[in-house]
Amino acid sequence: MDNISNGLGFGASSSDPKAAVMNQIRQEAAMTNARQLIEKVNEHCFEKCVPKPGSSLSSGETTCFTQCMEKYMAAWNTVSRQYINRIQQEQGRSAGGGGLF
Amino acid sequence: MDSPTSSLEQNIDLSKLSENDKKELQQFIVNESQKARIQQSVHSLTDICWKKCVTGTIRSGKLDRNEETCAQNCVDRFLDANMTVIRHLDNMRNQS
Repeated sequence: MDNISNGLGFGASSSDPKAAVMNQIRQEAAMTNARQLIEKVNEHCFEKCVPKPGSSLSSGETTCFTQCMEKYMAAWNTVSRQYINRIQQEQGRSAGGGGLF
Repeated sequence: MDSPTSSLEQNIDLSKLSENDKKELQQFIVNESQKARIQQSVHSLTDICWKKCVTGTIRSGKLDRNEETCAQNCVDRFLDANMTVIRHLDNMRNQS
C-alpha cells in the first residue's frame, strides 16, 4: 500500500501486474458471458414476444420480454446445474476419460 | 467492446512478474479457460433446450415444472447422444 508506484501509474494495475492481468481476464470473461446471454435472450424472446412487429414495442410485449428474460435465465441455471452434475458424474466414473467438449 | 484489450496493453507491465507470479497466472488462465468453455457449452445447451422445452407463450418469469424436467432431460439426452456419436466414430475408426 505504501508503494510509490501506486501513485505513479493507473491505480493497482501498474503496481501489481499479476492482479491486474487477473482482473482483466475476469472482466473479459464476464463481458463475453454477458454478451452471449444478451444475444440469446434477445433472439429467443423476440421470437416469442414479438410475432408481428408493430410501429413500437407495446406494453404487453415489454412485459413479455421481462418475463421471458427471467425465464431464459432460469433455464440457463437449470441447464448449468444439470450439465455440471453430469460432468462430475462422468469424471467420477472414468478418471482420465476425455472431456466431452 | 475494445477498451478492455487496449487497457491491457497500456497499463500492465508484465516484465515485473516474478517466476512464481508467472506460474500462478498460467494456472489461473488454465482455470479461467476451462470455466469459459463450460459456460460456452451451457449457452449452447440452453439455446437448444429452450427451443425444445419452452414451446408455449410466456406467461410468467419462472420455468414451470414440465419445462424444468424437460430441460434437465434435454441436457442429459443431448450428452448421451454426443457420447453415442463419439463411440460410433471410435468403432468406425477401429474397423478401418
